[in-house]
Amino acid sequence: MSAQQDRLEVAPTRPVGPDYRSPSQKPAATVSTDVDCETVTILPQTPQLIALLSIIRDKNTDRGDFIFYSNRIIRLLVEEGLNHLPTVARPVTTPVGRPYDGLAFEGKICGVSIMRAGEAMEQGLRDCCRSVRIGKILIQRDEETAMPKLFYDKLPEDIADRWVLLLDPMFATGGSAIMAVEVLKSRGVKEERILFINLIASPEGIKNFATKFPRLRVVTAFVDQGLDEKNYIIPGLGDFGDRYYTM
Amino acid sequence: MNGSSTLRPPWADVSIIGIAGSSGSGKSTLSHAIVSKLNLPWVVILSMDSFYKTLSPESHRKAFLNEYDFDAPDAIDFDVLVERLRDLKAGKRAEIPVYSFEKHARVDKTTTIYSPHVLVLEGIFALYDPKVMDLLDMKIFCEADADTCLSRRTQVLRDVRDRGRDIDGIIKQWFSFVKPNFEKYVDPQRKVADIIVPRGVENQVAMSMVVQFIQQKLLEKSSRHRAALTELEIAAESEPLSDRVVILPQTSQLHGMNTIIRNIDTDSEDFIFYFDRFATLLVEQALNNIPFAPVQITTPQGYQYAGLRARGQVSAVILLRGGAALEAGLRRVIPDCQTGRVLIQSNVRTGEPELHYLVLPRDIDAHEAVLLLDAQMSSGGSALMAVQVLADHGVRPERIVLATYSAGRIGLHRLTTVFPGIAVVVGNLERDVEERWVERRYFRC
Repeated sequence: MSAQQDRLEVAPTRPVGPDYRSPSQKPAATVSTDVDCETVTILPQTPQLIALLSIIRDKNTDRGDFIFYSNRIIRLLVEEGLNHLPTVARPVTTPVGRPYDGLAFEGKICGVSIMRAGEAMEQGLRDCCRSVRIGKILIQRDEETAMPKLFYDKLPEDIADRWVLLLDPMFATGGSAIMAVEVLKSRGVKEERILFINLIASPEGIKNFATKFPRLRVVTAFVDQGLDEKNYIIPGLGDFGDRYYTM
Repeated sequence: MNGSSTLRPPWADVSIIGIAGSSGSGKSTLSHAIVSKLNLPWVVILSMDSFYKTLSPESHRKAFLNEYDFDAPDAIDFDVLVERLRDLKAGKRAEIPVYSFEKHARVDKTTTIYSPHVLVLEGIFALYDPKVMDLLDMKIFCEADADTCLSRRTQVLRDVRDRGRDIDGIIKQWFSFVKPNFEKYVDPQRKVADIIVPRGVENQVAMSMVVQFIQQKLLEKSSRHRAALTELEIAAESEPLSDRVVILPQTSQLHGMNTIIRNIDTDSEDFIFYFDRFATLLVEQALNNIPFAPVQITTPQGYQYAGLRARGQVSAVILLRGGAALEAGLRRVIPDCQTGRVLIQSNVRTGEPELHYLVLPRDIDAHEAVLLLDAQMSSGGSALMAVQVLADHGVRPERIVLATYSAGRIGLHRLTTVFPGIAVVVGNLERDVEERWVERRYFRC
């Protein structure tokens, strides 16, 4: 089979929609690949999420829409990611004078974005956590060795005491993310306190992470079919940074 | 609807009062006097003048020469009148034609009547057509002797001012049509009237009779409505919630946000920030209940993806005032969402919901989905009425998704029993009677 035919093939679909609708009432779409890994959380495959992903995957979507709709997904990812933080009981009194068995979050957090695409996720993080500290890491491919190389980092000084939301939208082989995690660990961040938040992941990247960092948690909107010969995610959405910043 | 239960809002089943009488007998003066005596909102006067037929070219020419008989029943389009009255009686919105006396034709625009408690139908032939008579709750005939009528009719000022006619024309019409028609068509209506009011507005006894009758009618309707609500409440205790009620998954983030939102000591800045964040999630979840269609996507690398897209337009209706607290969340998800607004308030005296304000997108009946937003739903009274309002404007209940920060079981049960097709997305399942504190905190008053 030629590469061209390969690209036209569509992954299997299943009906997507709320439980109260019968399968015949639900439209069919390709949903996330299942992953057998406790540390990976995939967002519920709701029709709305699939519709949002369809917009940002579409090559005909313009930059304005790409930014708006990817932000909506990123917000959902951050909301889901924050669920993994530790909590304590916090009883409060409501405005009508009744007791309420509340909950408060324990532990400080910070964001760390892998430049440049990861920075596109900062707005979504700030929409949920107003004055969150955000560190940055720049990793680029070394021209001579073809291996990822750390060029720059600026991280909160007390990062070792914090939970870290690591931001990078496309999780392909995970090459730069692995390097970023190693940088964080070298600064004293515990592996189980790192949440890697991305929009689209590949099964290969997830496997790499599970082997290298078995206690690190991954939160993603969708696990795609795989990688092509250039290590692009299939079907993916193209180059996220280009589509968000320059295209 | 599976017909298990229905509930008409108290403003459906409008009481219609017909007032007939010769031209110049004081019908419209009497109508206005009744309206001011009743002292109620939502009383509408509908003049049969709006239902004059548009003239054929021949009649049109005659009309300009004042040779057309406007004072015969044939000039009135009774079919359209009956249709509109039936719509109003069924609680639906009715578009009333606007007739131009200068052009002797209906103009393009219409006026909308929806949800009056009382409608006064006023016109020479209000008691003429049997189909109209069937719809009337009270039939009044205004009587004045011919001399008085003629003198009023020739108070040229009135017609020239209100109807753009000239003096010669009015006198010509009186002798050719008005007087002969009175004997032939108008006067016989006396026999079918419930009340004959001589001397018009000067007749205080007749006036208070009419007003008392209407007030009695409204009271009966109000108690029927509340009895129907109570019946729905009794059923709520034994039955499980409809599967179309989706409660947001109670994750630790949601629980944490609820703690901040509900804590009486939370300052307003935090309250608004966390409520907006909550509202955004609520609206995102609500959108899972709108219709989607499959779509084939090509990615920039040329790969195919079998995705979904919303099948059509999604609009929103804000149930004031509480629903407006969810608007920031709505705008984060659909920035340019077409948005209608409804204000329904409970009458302090009767507890009955009353429709105070209503503006909807014009083509709302053509939208694929309508999100109805309210901050809190306890008894479900106003949500129920809001859905009914949308249904009366042609929105099918299956297309409505109600999203609310919190709701009680009784309210949810009432709503989904009356409208089984509606989907409801609820942030928190609550006690059944909950004060409306969210909007108070959000708007800080």
